[in-house]
Amino acid sequence: MSSGWRSAKKLLVFLTKLLLTVLEAVVFTLLPKPRKSVAGEVVLITGAGSGLGRLLALRFARLGSVLVLWDVNKEGNEETSKMAREAGATRVHAYTCDCGQREEVYRVADQVKKEVGDVSILINNAGIVTGKKFLDCPDELMEKSFDVNFKAHLWTYKAFLPAMIANDHGHLVCISSSAGLIGVNGLADYCASKFAALGFAESVFIETFSQKRKGIKTTIVCPFFIKTGMFEGCTTACPSLLPILDPEYAVGKIVDAVLQEKLYLYMPRFLYFMVFLRSFLPIKMGLLIIDYLGIFHVMDGFTGQRKKQ
Amino acid sequence: MDMIVDASIFLGKFLYYFLESFAYKIIPKRKKNVTGEIVLITGAGSGLGRLLAIHFASLGAILVLWDINQEGNMETCRLAKEKGAVKVFAYTCDCSNRQEVYRVADQVRKEVGDVTILINNAGVVTGKLLLDTPDHMVERSFLVNAISHFWTYKAFLPAMIKANHGHLVCISSIAGLAGISRLSDYSASKFAAFGFAESLFIELSMLKKSEVKTTIVCPYFIKTGMFEGCTTKHPFLLPLLEQEYVAKTIVNAILEEQVYVIIPKLLYFALILKQIISPKMMIALGEYLGVDTCMDFFKGREQANELQTEIQRKHQ
Repeated sequence: MSSGWRSAKKLLVFLTKLLLTVLEAVVFTLLPKPRKSVAGEVVLITGAGSGLGRLLALRFARLGSVLVLWDVNKEGNEETSKMAREAGATRVHAYTCDCGQREEVYRVADQVKKEVGDVSILINNAGIVTGKKFLDCPDELMEKSFDVNFKAHLWTYKAFLPAMIANDHGHLVCISSSAGLIGVNGLADYCASKFAALGFAESVFIETFSQKRKGIKTTIVCPFFIKTGMFEGCTTACPSLLPILDPEYAVGKIVDAVLQEKLYLYMPRFLYFMVFLRSFLPIKMGLLIIDYLGIFHVMDGFTGQRKKQ
Repeated sequence: MDMIVDASIFLGKFLYYFLESFAYKIIPKRKKNVTGEIVLITGAGSGLGRLLAIHFASLGAILVLWDINQEGNMETCRLAKEKGAVKVFAYTCDCSNRQEVYRVADQVRKEVGDVTILINNAGVVTGKLLLDTPDHMVERSFLVNAISHFWTYKAFLPAMIKANHGHLVCISSIAGLAGISRLSDYSASKFAAFGFAESLFIELSMLKKSEVKTTIVCPYFIKTGMFEGCTTKHPFLLPLLEQEYVAKTIVNAILEEQVYVIIPKLLYFALILKQIISPKMMIALGEYLGVDTCMDFFKGREQANELQTEIQRKHQ
């Protein structure tokens, strides 16, 4: 009898919480959510030497944060550093670091802790893409993809999360991808790494939640392709529903999501609908929609960035 | 004009598939015959792998069993032969080691033939909070649960594509669809396995008339000893699964060529909800289902952990 009561009580607690969160969600769609101040926060961005990482650095520079920039490319990183100072940042620290290498991450992290202090906003943004069909992709390249796009997150979390927990203050930002929500052909290794990054960030979020660490926030970002040159050559058959995103627009939304402490950000909004459809639609119908939206062919023209490796 | 034609074809096909899916809910789907197919199962030495081997044995398939644990693998071999398997081949293989996978795969090709059903089932779990999990164990989770799939696909997929005949089965997990406390490394690796299998599925779908099938399985915790100590908040609504039930469901799904399999069915509903509700609601739902507490009393398999640390010492 008592176990029946316990189940009923649990259900009641759950339904009440559900009701309150529904009301909260409704209220916040009407009223604007408060945006937190990040002046003085130590923001670490991996892959800050170019693309999205550079734009994020510039935005946080204007918001008065202390910047810690990591990139494997020293030149690009120095350039971002200079631009950030021009944008008004008073403290910018640039480090050359291959975040796919565990020992290097730990070594540079120690340097950061000594020279700058505890990182309070960690943005795992560094990413590479091979863009080759799976059977044509050399094994070492696949391993590298996985190391940079995902394993780097493990090491940076391990390096910086303890201090965030000790201070009960921190924000973990994971730049995943729409390819981390739905598999895409021609991106097998990239998908695997982005799915892993998303699952990892979500799992650690549940962990911080279960350990009652209310001061630690998480934001998981899943953008479609952004025009930064990383996915040069990619096309979309449906620019109204799934546009290739403008970089300024994308970074604006990401920073906004961080300031509002949002948990998930999918860009464009159509992705929410796609993932919802995928969860229940019979497979043939799903494939039909993918075909119609041209997603089978997004990677056909891929050339990628002409970067010196 | 083109757009209207395209749209009409699309809507026509959409309606057809919609009706077809309804039909299949009533009429049972045809189960394919796997007699004589070469089924390779990783992690066949215990738990789910062993049960899958036994089921495929009774269906007349040729078994190729891989496991890092020779004893367990031999035992599965014996049980499969008892069940009537005509040909069973057991190989000791650490599938986290790329060179070993390729070497043993070559052996399999010479001694048995081309694998037609590949079941990536091998898995390890540490079950600690992220900051309490040593780095080498985190890496190991990845190598066995996700990266090994890259190597097995590379080893066996080319032959399947050439023969235009094959079936790729990925044993992921519910932790591959939603994050769970104390399973950050496991969850990330299962997400990766899921995403990889899905991506390859889309790639194979692009090859018109492709007869290489994919099945991705996401079960809740199964009572095989792997998740010993796990608890569930709702033993009635969301019970810890019986091995035999899961094995049968998976084999059925493979025979019916289902693409996604989520066990138990209740979780289909939870996952649909996950996509439409706000994050706070999702947290409330997750809390209700116990994603934050189910691993609190996790013990896992004592033996498996000892074997792992021994392998680590050997590699160092």
